[in-house]
Amino acid sequence: MQDKKYYFEDFPPGSTWEIDGPIVTKEEIVEYASKFDPQYFHIDEAAAQHSPYGGLIASGWHTVGICMRLMCDRYLLDSVSFGSPGMDHVRWLHPVRPGDRLRLKTTVLEAKISRSKPDRGSVLNRWDVYNQDSALVMTMEGWGILGRRPRSP
Amino acid sequence: MAIKYYWEDFIVGWQYESPTRTLSAQQITAFAREYDPQAYHTDEEAAKSTPFGGLIASGWQTCAVGMRLMCDGYLLETSCIGSPGLDELRWFKPVRPGDALRLRTTVVEQTPSAKNPARGTVKFRWEILNQSDKVVCLMVGSQHYLRRTPADAASSS
Repeated sequence: MQDKKYYFEDFPPGSTWEIDGPIVTKEEIVEYASKFDPQYFHIDEAAAQHSPYGGLIASGWHTVGICMRLMCDRYLLDSVSFGSPGMDHVRWLHPVRPGDRLRLKTTVLEAKISRSKPDRGSVLNRWDVYNQDSALVMTMEGWGILGRRPRSP
Repeated sequence: MAIKYYWEDFIVGWQYESPTRTLSAQQITAFAREYDPQAYHTDEEAAKSTPFGGLIASGWQTCAVGMRLMCDGYLLETSCIGSPGLDELRWFKPVRPGDALRLRTTVVEQTPSAKNPARGTVKFRWEILNQSDKVVCLMVGSQHYLRRTPADAASSS
């Protein structure tokens, strides 16, 4: 296996990562939602004015996708990732609108070495997603399985 | 689109099962390049030497496809005004190219809004199944809906 930069050991409980994201554009919001979540308040700017949100908002799944990409680019692609069994407490707290700039903060809540497969461990991460006004737009908690740092021979 | 289903229609036990949607390798890699570019989602060759033994879809794509099946199946004809979130999301089995996914929705709870007489919340269990009837993904979460008749319409006059 090729050397990676980050391993299970680099994610002790309490450690945090702060990752600045891009500006979310109207075109991206409509494009994502047209494929996966074509509710009118995600794809139709005019109709969205009359929704409870008063304007176009991003699909919550789109927000998750943007943050997954941020995590990939910041550290996950440079680690040995064995995937994830799932997430808990996914909360969409505040709408994401065109022009918003998202910021992802991840905090390790728990980390445990696998008993059956000692080459890996599970890390429980809390995701907090903020917009440019520091409003919390989304939170969730999820386990990721990461490879442990190989011992030097 | 005209609204056919309101909060009142989602009684506990209500079920829906969607038609299937097949995911191609090209769709899997295209989604992953954008949102989850881990090697086992983007690179068919490299994926062979991962623990999954081949290309698998990002779990977020599985969720997104489930969302689209829900939209096409019934959601766009409802008074749904969004979701506060999911209590639970589990990926049980990898989704591979050629897998035919379908969505099964079951209502588990129906609660009137305490604050807004025109609204209510429905808690659902959403299962995404593959062609072998295996549940590949499970979501338990809620959506807010407008009521057909506000709760105070009869009593407030």
